[in-house]
Amino acid sequence: MPDYKAPLRDIKFVMTELLDSEQHYANLEGAEDATPDMVDAIIQEGAKFCEQVLSPLNQVGDREGCTWSEDGVKTPTGFKEAYQQYVEGGWPSMTADPNYGGQGLPSSLGLVMSEMVGTCNWSFGMYPGLSHGATNTIEEHGTEEQKQTYLTKLISGEWTGTMCLTEPHCGSDLGTLRTKAEPNADGTYAITGTKIFISAGEHDMAENIVHIVLARLPGAPEGTKGISLFIVPKNLPNEDGSSGERNAVSCGSIEHKMGIHGNATCVMNFDGAKGWLIGPENKGLNCMFTFMNVARIGTAIQGLGAAELGFQGSLTYAKDRLAMRSLSGPKNPEGIADPIIVHPDVRRMLLTQKAVAEGARALIYLTAQQADVVQRGKTEEERKAADEALGFLTPIAKAFLTEIGYEAANLGMQVFGGHGFIAEWGMEQNVRDARIGMIYEGTTGIQALDLLGRKVLMTQGESLKGFTKQVHVFCKENADNDQLKEFLEPLAAINKEWGDLTMKIGMTAMKNREEVGAASVDYLMYSGYAVFAYLWARMAKVALDKMADGTTEEMFYNAKVQTARFYFKRMLPRAKAHAESMLAGADSLMDMPEEAFAL
Amino acid sequence: MADYQAPLRDMRFVLNEVFDAPALWASLPKVAENVDPDTADAILEEAGKITSGVLAPLNREGDEQGTQWNNGEVTSPEGFKEAYQTIVEGGWNGLGGNPEFGGMGMPKTLVAQFEEMMQGANMAFGLAPMLTAGACLALDAHGSQELKEKYLPNMYSGVWSGAMDLTEPHAGTDLGIIRTKAEPNSDGSFNVTGTKIFITWGEHDMAENIIHLVLAKLPDAPKGPKGISLFLVPKFMVNEDGSLGERNSFSCGSIEKKMGIKGSATCVMNFDGAKGWLVGEENKGLAAMFTMMNYERLGVGIQGIGAAEASLQSAREYALDRIQSRAPTGAQQPEKAADPILVHPDVRRMLLTMKSYVEGGRTFSTYVAQWLDISKYAEDDERRKHAEGMVALLTPVAKAFLTDRGLDACIIGQQVFGGHGFIREWGQEQLVRDCRITQIYEGTNGIQALDLMGRKVVGSQGKLYELFANDVAAFIEENSGDQNLRPYLEPLAAAFERLSDVTEHVIKQAGDNPNAVGAASVDYLDLFGLTALGYMWAKIVKAAAPKAEGDTSGFYTGKLKTARFYFDRLLPKTVSLAEGIRSGSESMMALTAEEF
Repeated sequence: MPDYKAPLRDIKFVMTELLDSEQHYANLEGAEDATPDMVDAIIQEGAKFCEQVLSPLNQVGDREGCTWSEDGVKTPTGFKEAYQQYVEGGWPSMTADPNYGGQGLPSSLGLVMSEMVGTCNWSFGMYPGLSHGATNTIEEHGTEEQKQTYLTKLISGEWTGTMCLTEPHCGSDLGTLRTKAEPNADGTYAITGTKIFISAGEHDMAENIVHIVLARLPGAPEGTKGISLFIVPKNLPNEDGSSGERNAVSCGSIEHKMGIHGNATCVMNFDGAKGWLIGPENKGLNCMFTFMNVARIGTAIQGLGAAELGFQGSLTYAKDRLAMRSLSGPKNPEGIADPIIVHPDVRRMLLTQKAVAEGARALIYLTAQQADVVQRGKTEEERKAADEALGFLTPIAKAFLTEIGYEAANLGMQVFGGHGFIAEWGMEQNVRDARIGMIYEGTTGIQALDLLGRKVLMTQGESLKGFTKQVHVFCKENADNDQLKEFLEPLAAINKEWGDLTMKIGMTAMKNREEVGAASVDYLMYSGYAVFAYLWARMAKVALDKMADGTTEEMFYNAKVQTARFYFKRMLPRAKAHAESMLAGADSLMDMPEEAFAL
Repeated sequence: MADYQAPLRDMRFVLNEVFDAPALWASLPKVAENVDPDTADAILEEAGKITSGVLAPLNREGDEQGTQWNNGEVTSPEGFKEAYQTIVEGGWNGLGGNPEFGGMGMPKTLVAQFEEMMQGANMAFGLAPMLTAGACLALDAHGSQELKEKYLPNMYSGVWSGAMDLTEPHAGTDLGIIRTKAEPNSDGSFNVTGTKIFITWGEHDMAENIIHLVLAKLPDAPKGPKGISLFLVPKFMVNEDGSLGERNSFSCGSIEKKMGIKGSATCVMNFDGAKGWLVGEENKGLAAMFTMMNYERLGVGIQGIGAAEASLQSAREYALDRIQSRAPTGAQQPEKAADPILVHPDVRRMLLTMKSYVEGGRTFSTYVAQWLDISKYAEDDERRKHAEGMVALLTPVAKAFLTDRGLDACIIGQQVFGGHGFIREWGQEQLVRDCRITQIYEGTNGIQALDLMGRKVVGSQGKLYELFANDVAAFIEENSGDQNLRPYLEPLAAAFERLSDVTEHVIKQAGDNPNAVGAASVDYLDLFGLTALGYMWAKIVKAAAPKAEGDTSGFYTGKLKTARFYFDRLLPKTVSLAEGIRSGSESMMALTAEEF
C-alpha cells in the first residue's frame, strides 16, 4: 500500500499560482479569516492528519469492512478513534455557519481538506462527507429550532448525517419513490418506507445520526413534484439537546460490495419513525438541488483522489522495479536490469495519471472557487455569474473526473503488472474503491443529460458561451507568446469546435428529442477534454512565466510544461473521436428493436 | 444476474455463416479425420449444456468462498471438484489435444468456442483446463517420446492437471533474469530449486497429480533469455507402471489474496531440489514456451470475450426489467410507473457498445483461430507459412485488444445496473474484477503492444503487416460491387488506410529513434484492433445482409444494425489514436525520473 503524501506543492501551485486564492478570498464576503497564513496552516495540519492517522487505516478498512448485527454496525478497527481525532481537530466545522459553531471558512478550503482525506482513505472520508449534505440541507432550509437542535451537533461532529434518497425500485428516477410521511397531531410526521444504498446510515462512530429523508405526504402530487424532505434522527433529541430515546428507524442490513468496504452502505427501514418537515411541502427535490453542486464536487474529488493515489503508488514502484533494459541502452548498468520508468510505455501510463491528477485538481479548485462566490460573492451579479459557471462545470467535473480518474487508477494498477492484482499492494483496492464514483450522486449518463440537456441546451448555449468566452480571452491575451503557441493553437481550435458541435446538436435535438440522450455522454467527455485543455494551457503559462522570471524550482515548473505537452499531444486527440461519435445521431441507437438486443 | 446461456446461435453464425469453417476443416486432411459439421455441432451443443448447467452455477459462490490454503494443501471452492470430474468425464481437457496420446484432435476454430463458453461461465474454474491445455501443447511440441507417453494421456483426460511456472518474485515480464536453478543428476533427471509466484492452479484438490512446467537455469547457462531451460516437474512421481509414487519435493507456500478470479488458486511454489526432466533442448526453454504462447494468448483474449458476453447477458436482462423514468419521446409503457431503461438512448449506447465488442470480438477470435488451424495442419508449405505469419501478427492483437475491450464491456455492463452494479449479489462487479487480470497475465497488454509493433511490424519491416493488409484489401476489392456492403466498405477502407499510413510512419520513425516503438505501441495496437474489428463487422454484414430481407427472427437485421452502430460510434476512435501516435515520443521521454 502506498504511503500517502499530501501533494502540498501542487496544491499550492493550483491554489495560489494558478487561481490566485489570496485575491479570491479577499473578494469574498465574510472570508476575512482565510488569510494566506491561515490557509497554509490549515492545509499543513490537515496533511499531517491525513498522512499519519487516516492513510494507515485505508487498507484495514478494506480488509475488515463493516460488520452488521442486530445492535448496529461496527466500523473497521481504528475508524472510531480516528473520527474522534477528526472531531477534536475541529475539521467538521471548518466551513460551517459561525452562528452554530462553524468556523465560517470558504467551501473551497474545505474541499482541499476533502481532497486529502478522500485520497488517502475514501471510505473514511464518506462519513464526514455525508454529514456535509445534512448540514447544508438544514443550513439552507431548516427552521431556527431545527438549526439549534441539529446543526450545532452536526457542525461539532458529535452527530453525523446521511441523505436517504434511493429506494429499491428507484434511483435515478426519484419521482416514483414510495416512502410515506403521515402527519401526527403534534406537527411531526410518521415516516414509513425502505431506503437503500444509504452510505454511513448506521455506524458506531457518533452518538447520533441525522437522516435527511425524501418521502411523500398523503395526497401529494405524483412524480417529482410530490416529494418532501424530512429530518429523521436515529435517536430523538431531548429538551436539553442531548441524544434521547431510539427512533423507529433501523439498519436492516449492509451491502456486500465491490469496494469502499470501510464505509457502511445500509438498507434503512423506517417504521413510523418520527420526522420533522424541512423546507416547504412537496418541494423536497428543489431543496436538495440548492446544494447538489457542492455535493457533486465532493464526489468529483473521488476521481482526483483515485488518480493521485494510483500515481503515487505506481511512480514509487516504477522507480524501484527492475525489468528489461532501456531501448536506448542500459540506464542502470550495475543492476540486473533498468528501473521500468525508462520504458516509454510505462511513462505513458505515469504521465496519463499525472495529467489526470493535476488537471483534476485544477478543475476541482476552479469549480470550488465558483461555489465560494455563489455563497459569498459581494454582488448579486457576481453571484449569478458564478452560479451559472458552477452549474455548467459541476456535471463535467463529476462525470469526467470520475471516468478518467478510474482510468488512471487502472493504469496505476497496470504499472505493477501481476502485483497490481494482489491485495497487499493496495492498487486493486484503489480501482475497486474508485469504481463507485461513476455511479453514485448521479451516474455519468445522468450527469451528461444534465450538462447537455439542462445546462447547455436549455440556456440556448449561454452557459457554454460563458466558459468559451473566457477561453477565447485567454487565447487572445497570450496570442503574442511564442512559447505558448503549441498550446494555444489546439486550444483555440477545440474552443471553437465546441460551440459548433453544440449548435449542430441543438438543431438536431429540436427535431428529435432522442438526439440529446444519444449525444450526451460523448458530449460530456468532449467537454471534459476541452476544459482540461484550457486548464493545462493556463498551467503551462504560469510555469513558463515562473521560469522566465527565474526560479529555484526549475524542475517543478519544467515538469508542468512537459505534462501539459503530453496532455495536448497524447490525450486531447481523444476529443476528436467523441466529436465524430456524437454527430453520428440517434438512429443507430434507436433503430434496434428491443428483442434484437437478446439475439 | 442472468443465468449464463452459451451463445450457441451466434457461434454457429460465426463458424458456419461468416467463415464457413466446415470447408476449412475439409481442406485440412488431419482435421477432417476427426471432425465433420455434425460432430462439431454436437460438441457445441454439449459444451453449451455443461458450461451453462454445471460451471456457471458455481461462479458466484466460487468468488465468495475463494480457495483455501492450509499447510501446503489447497481446497477449491465447493462444487469445483465435482465439476472438474464432469469435465474429465466429458474429455473436455483434451478437446484440441494430439490424438496419438489420447487427445480429440479438434481444430482451434471449434475449441475456441468451447473456451469462450467455459471462460464466460466461470473464469476461475476455466483456468484449470486452460493451463492444462497449455502445458500439453508445450509438452507435445517439445517433449521426448518417453515424456509424452508418460504424461500426455493423463493430462488430456484431465486426471492430471498442468501448471506453468514462469514468474519469480523479481522477474515477470523480464524472464531473462530468473534465478531458479536446475542441477543435473546422474540418472538424467534434474534437481530444481527456486521460488515461483503467480502460479495459477499450482496446487489444488481437483486432480490426482499436477504436472508443472518450470523455467529454470542450468549451471553455467548463458545469462539472459538464452540461458533458460524448461523442465517437467510432477507433484507426485510417476512409477514405471504409470501409478503415482512418492511426493516430489516442492510445495505451495501460500496463495495470493487478489482482486478477482478468487475461485482459482494463485500459488507461491517453492521448489526444493524437486526432481524434474528437461523438456526440449537445453537453454531453449523460452523458445519452447513460444509454441504454446500463441494458443494461450488467444485463449486469454477469449477470456475477455467470455466475461463480456456474460456481462452483456445480465445487462440486457436488467435493461428490460428495470423501469426508470420515461422515454424522451413519451411513455412507452404507460401502464407502468416508468419505462424500462432500454428506452433511453444512453442505455442503448452502452448495450450496443458491449454487443459490438462481444460479437465482433468473437468473430475476430475465430478468425485468428482459423489461421492457427491452417498454420498447424495445412500440408502445403506456402499456405502454412502464410498462416504462421498471420498468427504471429494477430496473436498480440487478439490478446490485448480483446481483453481491453472485454474489460470495457464488463465495466459498461456494471454501469447499466447503476448502484446495483456495485453490489456483489448481481455479479456484474465480479466480472469486472475477474476480467481485470486478463490485461495483465500472459504478457501484459503493454508487452503485447511492443510485440506487435516492435517484433512483428517493425521487425519484419512491414512484411507481416502486408499479409493482413492484402487480406483486407482483397475483401474490399471483391465486394466493391455489393450494394449491401457499400455503406460499410467506405469507412472500413478509410480506417484501413489510416492504419496503413500510421504503420508506414512508425516503421520509418523506428529507424532513427529507439523510443518510437514504445511510445506508439499501445495506441497502435488499439488502432489495429479497432480497424480489424471493423473488418470483422464488414464480414458479418456480408454474411447477414442476404438473409436480412424477410428475416422474422430479427437475428440478421440486428447484425446489420449493430454493424451500423460500430461504424458510426466506435470506429471513429481510430482518428484520435492515429493523431496521438503521430505526435511521437518526445512528450513521453522528456521528463526525468525526478521530475515525475
